[in-house]
Amino acid sequence: MDFPNPSYVHIIPGDVNRSDLGLSPEEYLRLASGVDEIIHCASDTSFSEQKRDQVKKANVENLHHLLGFAAKSNCFCFHHISTAYVAGKRRGPCPEAPAETFEYFNVYEETKHRAEKTAANFCRQHGIQLNIYRPSVVYGHSRTGRTLRFNALYYPVKTLLFLKNLYYEDTLHKSGKNAKKMGITFDENGRAHLPIRIETVPESGINLIPVDYFTDAFSAVMQTQKNGGIYHLVSDKNTSIAELIDYSQRYFNISGMQAVCPENMHPGSKNHLELLFERCIKTYKPYMKDERIFENHSTRGVLNTHKISCPEFDYPMFARCMQYALAVNWGNN
Amino acid sequence: MKPLEHITEEIRSMSSRCRHYAMCKIDFLETGLCPPAKETPYVSFFPQGRMDICDALARGLIPVTKTLVEIISSCTLCGRCDKQCHFVTGMRPMAVMQALKAFVAAFEKDGGKIKIIPEDETLDALKHITGSKWATNDPAHLVTYSNDPFPLAKRQMPGYVVLPGSADELVEIVRYADQLDIPVMVRGNGGSVFGFVFTHGIVIDVNRMKHIELDHENWTAIIEPGVTSFELQKAVTEHGFRVNTAEPAATVCGNIVCTGLFSTWANAYGVGADHFVDMTFTDLHGEIFRLNDKNAPNAFGFEEAVLPSPGICTSARIRMHPVTDDEAGVLVPFTSLEQAVSFARDLSIRRIGLSVGILGGHYLSTFISPTAFLAEKTGNVFSDILDIRYMVCVIGDRYARQAIRQMVSCVIAADTFKMLMLGLPRLTGPEWMDIVKGLESDRPAYETVFSQEMLPVLETLLSPAPETLAGAVDEDLREFYTDLYSRPHMTDMVWLNMFRIVSARMSRHKHMFAFLVYVPLDRMDVIHKILASLEKIAQQHGIDHDFGFLTPLDFGKRGILEYDYYIDHTDSRESDKIRLAMADLEPLMDRLSAAHKGVKWLKYIFSQGCARKENFLYT
Ligand SMILES: Cc1cc2nc3c(=O)[nH]c(=O)nc-3n(C[C@H](O)[C@H](O)[C@H](O)COP(=O)(O)OP(=O)(O)OC[C@H]3O[C@@H](n4cnc5c(N)ncnc54)[C@H](O)[C@@H]3O)c2cc1C
Ligand code: SF4
Repeated sequence: MDFPNPSYVHIIPGDVNRSDLGLSPEEYLRLASGVDEIIHCASDTSFSEQKRDQVKKANVENLHHLLGFAAKSNCFCFHHISTAYVAGKRRGPCPEAPAETFEYFNVYEETKHRAEKTAANFCRQHGIQLNIYRPSVVYGHSRTGRTLRFNALYYPVKTLLFLKNLYYEDTLHKSGKNAKKMGITFDENGRAHLPIRIETVPESGINLIPVDYFTDAFSAVMQTQKNGGIYHLVSDKNTSIAELIDYSQRYFNISGMQAVCPENMHPGSKNHLELLFERCIKTYKPYMKDERIFENHSTRGVLNTHKISCPEFDYPMFARCMQYALAVNWGNN
Repeated sequence: MKPLEHITEEIRSMSSRCRHYAMCKIDFLETGLCPPAKETPYVSFFPQGRMDICDALARGLIPVTKTLVEIISSCTLCGRCDKQCHFVTGMRPMAVMQALKAFVAAFEKDGGKIKIIPEDETLDALKHITGSKWATNDPAHLVTYSNDPFPLAKRQMPGYVVLPGSADELVEIVRYADQLDIPVMVRGNGGSVFGFVFTHGIVIDVNRMKHIELDHENWTAIIEPGVTSFELQKAVTEHGFRVNTAEPAATVCGNIVCTGLFSTWANAYGVGADHFVDMTFTDLHGEIFRLNDKNAPNAFGFEEAVLPSPGICTSARIRMHPVTDDEAGVLVPFTSLEQAVSFARDLSIRRIGLSVGILGGHYLSTFISPTAFLAEKTGNVFSDILDIRYMVCVIGDRYARQAIRQMVSCVIAADTFKMLMLGLPRLTGPEWMDIVKGLESDRPAYETVFSQEMLPVLETLLSPAPETLAGAVDEDLREFYTDLYSRPHMTDMVWLNMFRIVSARMSRHKHMFAFLVYVPLDRMDVIHKILASLEKIAQQHGIDHDFGFLTPLDFGKRGILEYDYYIDHTDSRESDKIRLAMADLEPLMDRLSAAHKGVKWLKYIFSQGCARKENFLYT
């Protein structure tokens, strides 16, 4: 978000893990008396069931601390950043409305759904307006590719590249027998043949939005909508797995990958590399067959007046993001 | 340069850090022993003793005597100690040996005066018994028998050190000392490091008594008291047997008497009286008795008190066990101690596997890493990235391993272990770590990393080879490590568990002060209580600490738990911390022991190691 005048911004470090937000009683009161809107964007985006307690704490329990603070303040509108995936295990249209679901693909979806309900109940009881923002999968900046995190979209691509490089090294500097065992070959131009079929369904795809669109859309809604509502900050078009495979292959000089329907993928027919890749990206598997379609009527209404639209996730966009990821070594530099 | 200037503070400090675990007294790397020490096995001739001499010289504790010059000059600078010591502690004692030689050269050049140590009647009498070479009152020898890293005892110079060559000589020494009321203390290899083997009287070092005789029909090995675990294990494995041993440099007799000899094999082979068929002792008046003699003092019983040992063991008939040709090791990782205990207990109850031990993630990484740096990195990867907090290490035949595969979802088999060990420096590569961190799986990361699908990747990534592992050590040691790790047994879990040459690595960063407690294995609450108390006290006193291991015993009914405190034994402030911690711990352990059946602290088992285990496990 671009702040017009940074001197308007006061950063007060706190700790949402604590009910007092890590502030002294005086600081807490002083802050509460000067607040009229709150944006809550702290959350744990881990999908891992193993981290359930940690995710629950961050996404649900810590929300109570913020809500408690809101109730003690002059806050009239609470802006809660959620996720489009509170829709849970669902196919087809997902409206900009409270999600009616009891099944989720992972603990992140589940806790974010619970958080929405918690925030809704609390704000209703305390007469606070609640805006819920539901972004889909956020990637880097649409113009620079810049991002701070390299999970979600990035992880499967990073894994592919890791495997390619690993077996390239094996082929170039060792006997290459390990690469051969995995069915991986390299042509004279260094193009890697990775025989990987990825299971998907024809109408499915991943909804991807760049981070700058997310922040622009969020601030547009936030600045104009103060009466409570649910807003899907999503792209109008899902990106199919076939497209993602195509982009990855082009950018990283890979061949041999394809998107296939489950009917064409008998479990017994999977090769070593497919089993391996599947194991690595197991967490993301449901998103490879994602049939959720996020409606965005309310949001579009607001964004149209601000002439904000979601950039398309095409090959140049993918390339920009990957260029950035490589330049910063996936965040390790 | 003045003679003492050759012993710089850096050299002195290294020499004072010798842990006294006596690993240089066994040929565990097949380098051969320190050549002069092989000929003259006084501690002073071993690298360990030379380290002590160096420290003592620098502190002005000993004069320059003819013997001192002889000891120092006998060093051939062959470099074996550098390899042995580096393997265990990471130290390079060659620099100490060189400094000592430079010291002597400068002393002689300076025309330094050699001090003559007068002999006395007692020494004459001792020499008369053992031959003149094997009894001494020279400070250069004595000082190497005067202390160990135990932080709660002061240095105690003995009057004499004597190395009997036979049981008869040993008994004669004891009788002589008894007549003159001179205290005697028997010493194996001093590896108890608990201040046990010191006296101002006569130290009897049993290192010349190393005879081993196998009685195949009776499944026993008859040994003299100087035989170490490593030597006995080596001798019996050559004939297809196994004995239950623990620390490789410990003498078997000393270990049984001292602690009852516990190890991960205790799961199958027991502890205490389970180890032997008979033992021969001399009491402190020189009266000889066999434990199997119906009129002998009852060493099989147990009393919850600090008692002296039955005497000095001059020979033991140790039980040997059969070995099958399909034995191999597996590691089973866990995220919590509860899961690991429940699994290990289940194995023990069902009699699946022979050696069973729960190790902390850091213990294992320390054992398999050739350097402290790699150990720390690996330990962090194990616990923080692979989610391995505990590993159950099992040695079993093929049926046991099949059963284990059906019991758990992730098994690290012997070939994967070998791959891991030989490729360890590459396990921690950042790109790979990034992939593992991002797995975000619902299951612990180790399940994916060690899954069948992932093994080919691991193999490619790690490039397991002796050269890869050797890449982690100092450049001038790489050839040696490459050669060492080309030997199959160095990556064989069965061999490593039997010979235990890597366990002393746990003290690589600091000396370890181990707490051992027998516990009821079905009472996780009690185990937690003990661990929490040990942890809390360590924290209160600012002492490094960690879970060590836990092994089931006697069909999973009991277990033996080790928890370690780590201290720099050269730092008196650390000794003070331990002293204060002990003041909290002793009453606490006594209370826990009184409150819970099956809780027995090793403190009371010391010197009652010949007792029947039932007498302390179920009383
Ligand atoms: C790194 C490390 C790990 C260890 N792990 C284990 C382990 O897993 N299991 C275990 O059981 N112990 C373990 N110990 C303890 C150690 O191995 C034992 O205390 C063992 O007794 C040391 O053997 P030693 O020959 O050096 O005995 P010493 O230290 O020389 O003597 C120990 C005691 O036994 C007495 N003694 C020695 N010889 C005789 C004899 N012939 N007759 C009667 N008494 C005798 C001594 O007087 C002394 O009281 C460990 C020690 C270290 C340093
Ligand atoms: S260098 Fe000296 S002390 Fe070291 S093993 Fe060789 S002879 Fe012994």
